Amino acid sequence: MYTLTKVTLSFITILLLLLPSQVSAQQSDFQIIQDFRTGYSELLNKVENAVSTDELNEISEEISSFEAQYANHESLINDAIYPDTFDGLMQDLENNFNISNANISVIEQLNNRVEDLVDEMDLFRNRISDMNQEMVTLEERIEQSSENESRQAALIRQYRLNIDQRDVFVSNFLEELVERYQNMDSSARSEISDASDRLQDNPVDILKTILSEYIQLANSDISLNLSDYVSMRAQHGYFSNVWDRIGTQLTETFVPDGPVVAEQEVEDLLVAWQAAIDNNLWETLAASFSENDIELEPFSSSSEFYTSLNSYIDSSYEASLESNSEQDYQRFLNFNSFWNNTVKANWGELLTTGNVLTYSEISAIDMKLNDWGEASSPTSNLMFILLIVSIAVIVGLVVLLVTKKS
Amino acid sequence: MNKQRLLYLFLSLAILLTVSACGSSLILENVDFSQPIESVLVPDSDQMVHDQRFAVKFSISPILTEENLTEIDEIRLIRNRAGFYFVTAAGFNNVYVFTPGESVLELVEKVFISENGLSQPAFNQRETYIELIDRNTGETFNLNY
Repeated sequence: MYTLTKVTLSFITILLLLLPSQVSAQQSDFQIIQDFRTGYSELLNKVENAVSTDELNEISEEISSFEAQYANHESLINDAIYPDTFDGLMQDLENNFNISNANISVIEQLNNRVEDLVDEMDLFRNRISDMNQEMVTLEERIEQSSENESRQAALIRQYRLNIDQRDVFVSNFLEELVERYQNMDSSARSEISDASDRLQDNPVDILKTILSEYIQLANSDISLNLSDYVSMRAQHGYFSNVWDRIGTQLTETFVPDGPVVAEQEVEDLLVAWQAAIDNNLWETLAASFSENDIELEPFSSSSEFYTSLNSYIDSSYEASLESNSEQDYQRFLNFNSFWNNTVKANWGELLTTGNVLTYSEISAIDMKLNDWGEASSPTSNLMFILLIVSIAVIVGLVVLLVTKKS
Repeated sequence: MNKQRLLYLFLSLAILLTVSACGSSLILENVDFSQPIESVLVPDSDQMVHDQRFAVKFSISPILTEENLTEIDEIRLIRNRAGFYFVTAAGFNNVYVFTPGESVLELVEKVFISENGLSQPAFNQRETYIELIDRNTGETFNLNY
């Protein structure tokens, strides 16, 4: 049984009625715990929502101040928050702080990387835009100067120069892309992918824009010569090669919602670009041979072009074997000159880079040319004449000897 | 007869010893019932309050009647080392001290505090007493029991 002692108000102290500053000394333990919980929760939220290291530094000071403020109430807090403890909660807060700090460091690195990327994309887009504008202006001026041939030729030279500059610029851009993304690990790609929606134009979009402009350029009415189209094909070959190497990484990084579709779109554009180039390339290539009196069989692809070359040489070789005429020899000299001085000397590298001819195909043509050269070289009659003369001399001597004896 | 009386006497003694043995209780002393911190409980529509942490649930209607109040936002409850419950609330003139019984809380003392009613009361558990403070006025009352 309880032994009840009478409740006594041992003393009733009325404080602060006269000394207001002591009001704050009257603390409710419950309120202390409530304030602790609220303060702790706020700090936890701040730590979780922090977005910069500066912010975290401020929070770190707040945590230290908070811990010092409630250290005197540790026992009370431990009783109130059992089975948690004051030290345990502060350790949890510190752990969260460290995790947040690590995450923010990664985010800040990523932000820097994305900002760099945005700057680069802006720079690239602006430069390409300037180049496009220059090309449009040149096209207009070329059309306007149709009556002045020398002026038009100068403008077309400028136009070609702009195409070359564009190719160099795009190639540098592609090289940078390869350097950056070809060996990038999946985690880095994943981080950039998460931030890719912050890019106004991501690299895949820019590549698609470049391809569309290349297609437009290849379909332009401006009359370009063969080397221009072969250059375009070489650029196409380089572009395709780069895309084969990093296309998958780029689409997975920058179009994470539909990488397969994006990759296919770029590949379709590459095919369309090649078709636009080839329409002009084969026609101009055939015309170039024709202008040099070399009538090849019609062709519309690299393999057909190689076949046409072989057919031309083979048939010429056969003809040389049969007739060995001066005309055959002149035909050989004409082809040999065009092949060595123009095709190989001026276009050789472009033809191989643009997958028009391979080095082995060029070598094979060279070997056939040697055979053709030997077959078409006119044969000399000097030996035959000497033989006749020799026989005549011998016959004469024999007749002379017989005459003397008789 | 004497033998019979003697037998009755032994039987009575044996029964008495058995009963007394059965009735002996095991007493654990120096039990500390104290809550480290007061509970602030919000009554439901039936004026029931439930302290889930310290596992006590009761109606405050009789206390409100004592205080001539119909409703309050919250009550403050704390238990001292001896196991007595102290109950008060903002607007109360008194602190109610209860002792727990079998399904009951029995009023032990109704401690008058203020004619005007407490403004912002709070209980604190102290080593040997319960501290009642009014955070609005700064008044402090030490309740020994």
